[in-house]
Amino acid sequence: MQLAEIELDRITGDIFAAILGLTLDGHRASDTFPPDERVVTGVVQITGDFEGAVSVQLGENLALRAAQLMFALEPGELTDEEVTDTVGELANMAGGNVKSALGGSSTLSLPSVTAGRDYRVTLPGTVIKDRIGQDCDGDLVVVALMQRDDTL
Amino acid sequence: MKILVVDDSKAMRAIVKRALSTLDRVAGATIVEAVDGKEAFATAQAEQPDLIISDWNMPEMTGIELLQALNDAGSCPSFGFVTSESTPEMHELARSNGARFLVSKPFTPEALDDALASAV
Repeated sequence: MQLAEIELDRITGDIFAAILGLTLDGHRASDTFPPDERVVTGVVQITGDFEGAVSVQLGENLALRAAQLMFALEPGELTDEEVTDTVGELANMAGGNVKSALGGSSTLSLPSVTAGRDYRVTLPGTVIKDRIGQDCDGDLVVVALMQRDDTL
Repeated sequence: MKILVVDDSKAMRAIVKRALSTLDRVAGATIVEAVDGKEAFATAQAEQPDLIISDWNMPEMTGIELLQALNDAGSCPSFGFVTSESTPEMHELARSNGARFLVSKPFTPEALDDALASAV
């Protein structure tokens, strides 16, 4: 499959439906979080025939909800580690599905996760090939696919 | 029946355990866990599980390295992968090392049940 054929919305929608039982509602007009919203970002890198990365970003509200569903716990029972683990695994699944769709010989990194307010995710030497915002019951999910660009 | 679930993600271990708990095929099974291949190898020696369900990409020792180590030790129970990556090369490598199945994440309990049909 060519890079342009990768359907991030379908990949993310399948993950949220199968693992969390949540429906992602198509593309959202904005793919930007409000600056005062705490955002949790999971990133996995792909190296080999394809060089790039996939990121999954959730506002803290949705990240907590996803972790609740993953662990079948109440909000007060969750630890930061469990929320981090949840978003990392969502990124891992998204990256793994992109890697599998692209074929070839590549390696997927372990996920890394960061959280904070009003920040940008930048991987030096890459360009964003696709970036989508999807709606999940009023919360935003942003998924991006980056590719290494040696001309940078 | 004893099942060893191996994944560096606690969240994914929880998902796999919950899926297993819904399946009649493994009703009443005891579930033990490990966070990577290295810990899983030691746990498998100590606990002697009937089935190992493992992630592929993990720190310390990957899932395929775990399978190969268990084969080398002559003590490999029924073994399958649940992994976010699923290429034809991985399927072939898993199969050639004796894995019974490779289920791609995200998965449904039904997909896991279908896979387990060949393993338990």
